[in-house]
Amino acid sequence: MSTIRIDNVRKSFGGFEVVHGVSLDIADGEFVILVGPSGCGKSTLLRMIAGLESISSGNVVVDDLVINRLPPRERDIAMVFQSYALYPHMTVRRNMAFSLKLAGAPKGDIDRQVQAAAEILDLVSLLERKPAQLSGGQRQRVAMGRAIVRNPKLFLFDEPLSNLDAKLRVQMRSEIKELHQRLRTTTVYVTHDQVEAMTMADRIVVMNAGRIEQAGTPMDLYEKPASLFVAAFIGSPSMNLIHGRIEDSAFLSDAGARIPLAANAPVTSDPVVLGVRPESLHVGGVGPAFGECRLRVVEPMGSETLLAATLLSGGDGAHGGGENIMILSRVKERYAADTTVRVGADPGEFHFFDATSGRRLE
Amino acid sequence: MTATAGLRRAPEIAVSAHRHIDLLTRIVILMVLALLLVFILLPLFWMLKSSFQTNFEVQAIPPVWLPENPSVEPYDLAGQLIPLWRYIANSLYVSTAAAVIAAALSAMAAYVLARFRFPGATLILALILLTQLIPSVTRIFPVYFLIQDMGLLNTFSGMIFAYVGFSIPFAVLLLRGYFQTSCPPELEEAAMMDGCTYFGAFWRVILPVSLPGIAAVTVFTFLNAWNDFLWASLLLSSGEMKTIQVGIGEFATESGVSNYQNAFMAACVISTLPALILFFFVQRWLVGGLTAGAVKT
Ligand SMILES: Nc1ncnc2c1ncn2[C@@H]1O[C@H](COP(=O)(O)OP(=O)(O)O)[C@@H](O)[C@H]1O
Ligand SMILES: [Mg+2]
Repeated sequence: MSTIRIDNVRKSFGGFEVVHGVSLDIADGEFVILVGPSGCGKSTLLRMIAGLESISSGNVVVDDLVINRLPPRERDIAMVFQSYALYPHMTVRRNMAFSLKLAGAPKGDIDRQVQAAAEILDLVSLLERKPAQLSGGQRQRVAMGRAIVRNPKLFLFDEPLSNLDAKLRVQMRSEIKELHQRLRTTTVYVTHDQVEAMTMADRIVVMNAGRIEQAGTPMDLYEKPASLFVAAFIGSPSMNLIHGRIEDSAFLSDAGARIPLAANAPVTSDPVVLGVRPESLHVGGVGPAFGECRLRVVEPMGSETLLAATLLSGGDGAHGGGENIMILSRVKERYAADTTVRVGADPGEFHFFDATSGRRLE
Repeated sequence: MTATAGLRRAPEIAVSAHRHIDLLTRIVILMVLALLLVFILLPLFWMLKSSFQTNFEVQAIPPVWLPENPSVEPYDLAGQLIPLWRYIANSLYVSTAAAVIAAALSAMAAYVLARFRFPGATLILALILLTQLIPSVTRIFPVYFLIQDMGLLNTFSGMIFAYVGFSIPFAVLLLRGYFQTSCPPELEEAAMMDGCTYFGAFWRVILPVSLPGIAAVTVFTFLNAWNDFLWASLLLSSGEMKTIQVGIGEFATESGVSNYQNAFMAACVISTLPALILFFFVQRWLVGGLTAGAVKT
């Protein structure tokens, strides 16, 4: 149980900086997820916390102790690797007991702790097997068992589910979350999958190109993305982003569509980007208008239907060639491609971003 | 008429053709294999059975395939004609030393080449590879003079030096590949997170995991040295220090091989034994698969 403070941490590889001054406070027992596209520096940041990578500048503080220069073995931090990194020459039992044995724990304690961890993770029947004799999901659980068995200050996960198939991934996702609710160990979890981040995190930290774009609860990020990057990254299907400008309490898209805005929309003459989530758009019905749309592709998914559509300019179907948008309809209805429909939206659900800086406009 | 009547059919061989080999083909295959086996094993069998026969029986025509009165006398005789056990001991010493030194050095070099990027790493690898492309006979004079200049002619150290040098390039290439595929860096990192020092991680994790590779390299170097005739006859001239391969060669020329064919064969049998015993003990390490499942497949 521990708090972590990451204070203006930087990392350079041979003069090339890949993490540019990241600061983050993590509360005791919190489950924080670092998410971002591949190569943005998530693993590097995690490995600096672990002690596997040196810190070029800044501090990592665990419970008021600066741990920058401590070797990994003295940090009391456990890590689950993407490749699991199980010791192939040891049985599951010895894999899990390894850290306790190195720490010089008495044999009775080791057995008890390994047994307890194996029960939590449903590994009891596999204790005498070697890693080669396990399935992907079982190996994943052994890797977690190795981490929880010694009750560390902190858990680190680096994309632990990315080698599992989709179904197992969903299952392990809830198992990890359950495990955290049970143990309440402070956790930093890295993934590039925003769905994983949304479903598991107490708090999400969105990273981009070595910087933190935004940190907040999943709902914070969903409802108030601080930048275009976060807006596009969080949510699935991702937010529609339409370039244009604001004039006379309406939004004029670059392609010529006119979308009426609410009274509290920002006032600016600079180019802006209007963001609207596919699930905020409603086909037909009453409510404020968003515009006329031509349905191009209809993708029924059972409970919902995903529609790829073109926003028609000036409400006039003849022009074609407007912005491409996605609509997520949760109404049970059969849509037909190549038809024109009225689309409504609540202007209160629009997001505005400065087109040049990408920052959110209120 | 059914609806499919007019359609063409794909030939039915494709997928499981190899499962439906007809009987005749099977018999032919078995016969060819049996013939090959005879071809490979016959000389070995000849050597073995002759070493238990009298010289008269060995040279009899038609051949006597099974000893009528199996006897270990030829082994005694071989020991009297040449200092057989002395030669075996020489060979064992030289080959073991060469194998251990080559394995230790190449494991360290391969580990560094597999793990770290540093200026010149590619050049070093390319040079190592290059040594494998040069025919080994071209080394005879340079190596001979090199060892002469070092004053190591007619010493075991000179021999060991030569064998280690010849084995290292291949051993490094083999072990480097082994470290790269079977010992991902995460294994060490996991060990260090679990409480190991850097050396502890190498000792407790990397070394045990690489044992099959290191064993393969050791056995390979040992057998190369054990079976060598060329260098042993070039670099050693003193009778006392001969290796078994050279010793057997001299046996044939000096004692007149036709008089003592059975003893000659007995010496040959003894010279193959250490290699066989070695293989018997390490084969479980040589069989791969130990590392399967360490990381994603
Ligand atoms: N050991 C290294 N040497 C040089 N560059 C590295 C090293 N490790 C990572 N990088 C670079 O740092 C950046 C961030 O990498 P990483 O933290 O692994 O990204 P992520 O985990 O978010 O995909 C990448 O551009 C990567 O190429
Ligand atoms: Mg990564």
